[in-house]
Amino acid sequence: MSVEEVAQKLENVSVSGEPKTVLSDAAEFEVKHPLNTKWTLWYTKPAVDKSESWSDLLRPVTTFQTVEEFWAVFQNIPEPHELPLKSDYHVFRNDVRPEWEDEANSKGGKWSFQIKAKGTEIDELWLRTLLAVIGETIDEDDSQINGVVLSIRKGGNKFALWTKSDDKEPLTKIGAKFKQVLKIEEDGLLEFYPHSSANDRFAQPTIVL
Amino acid sequence: MPRYTIEELLQLKPEEIQPVNFDAVEFKALIEKVKQLQALREEEYQHGHGHFNRRRSSHHHGRPKVNKHKPKVVVDEEGWATFETKTATEEGQEGSNDENSATGSSINGDKKTKSSDSLVQETVKVRPNNKNISSSRPADNRDIISDKQIHGFNAFAALGSDDDDSEDDE
Repeated sequence: MSVEEVAQKLENVSVSGEPKTVLSDAAEFEVKHPLNTKWTLWYTKPAVDKSESWSDLLRPVTTFQTVEEFWAVFQNIPEPHELPLKSDYHVFRNDVRPEWEDEANSKGGKWSFQIKAKGTEIDELWLRTLLAVIGETIDEDDSQINGVVLSIRKGGNKFALWTKSDDKEPLTKIGAKFKQVLKIEEDGLLEFYPHSSANDRFAQPTIVL
Repeated sequence: MPRYTIEELLQLKPEEIQPVNFDAVEFKALIEKVKQLQALREEEYQHGHGHFNRRRSSHHHGRPKVNKHKPKVVVDEEGWATFETKTATEEGQEGSNDENSATGSSINGDKKTKSSDSLVQETVKVRPNNKNISSSRPADNRDIISDKQIHGFNAFAALGSDDDDSEDDE
C-alpha cells in the first residue's frame, strides 16, 4: 500500500469518525431516537411438515435499538392480518428467547388475552402494544417486561405480555395498562398465568383483571 | 431510561419505507409460501371432506331403523287371538323336517322336535328382584316356600301322641 493510499484511508476514517450534527450537514442530518434496550423480532413459522420441531420453526428475524430502526422493520414485515394461521410474532428484549425455559422467563409469567378481532383491527392493536412495550410506557416502575407475543389462531388471535416475575403488585399495574392498550372493555378479562404452570393443561390464571 | 408515548412514537414514523438490515423479501416469500401451502391443504381437505364425501353423523338424525319382526297375531273364528312366533331355528328345522320326510323318516320324530321347541319357547325365565337382594328377605319367592316350616311342634298334640302310649304299654 502506497503512502498516498494510507493517507486517503486515514482521511476517510477521520471523516466517518466525526459525530454527525446539524452543523456538519443540515440536509442529511439524521438523529436516531435510542430505545431503552435492544429488541429482537422472532417469528414462529407454522409447521408444514410433521418432522419440523419447535426449534426449527422459531427463528430470530432481526434486531433494532432505535425508534427509526423499529419503524423500518415494522414497515418491511407482513402485517398480522397477512400472516398464515398458527404464526407467531415475538418481540423480546435483548437476547431473551421467547421460551418459558429461558432463564429470564423461568420465574415469570404472561398476561394473556384472546381477541376475536381480525384484519386491520388486529394490526392496530398489535402496533399499539409494540409501541407501548418498546416505548416503556406499559411498565412505569421498573422493567418487568421481557417481551410480547402475538399468536394468529383460527379461534381468535392471542396477545401475551411476558414478564420477569409473577409478583402480584407490579403485575396488576402492568395488567391495567395492557388492558387500556388493547382497548379491552369492562367485560373483557385479562388473565395472568405463571410459566410454572405452562405444562398444566387445565391451569387457572393467578391474577384476573 | 428513554421513554416514548404511543403518540410520540407515531409522530416519528417515516412516510417512506426505510431499508432494513435483513432480507425482508426472503422473509415475505417464506410467509407467502406457507400461506400457499396452507391454502392447498385446505382445498385438499375440502375436496376429501366435502358435503358428498362426509360420513354420516350420529347426532343429526334419529336412530337407524331396525326391522323388528313382530309376532303374527292370528284371530280365529271365535275371536281368540294367538301369537304365532317363528324363530329362525324353527324355520330351519322345518326345512330339515321336509328333507327328512322326503327321505322317508318317521312322523313321530317330527312331532318330538316340534314339542321340544314349544317347550323351549314356553320356558319362563325367572329373575330375582334386585331390590330384595340386599335385604334379609330371600331374593327368590321359591326360596320362601322351601324355607317355610311346614310341620310346627304342637306341645298338646305331643302329650297325647301314640308314642307315649306305646312306652306305657312296655
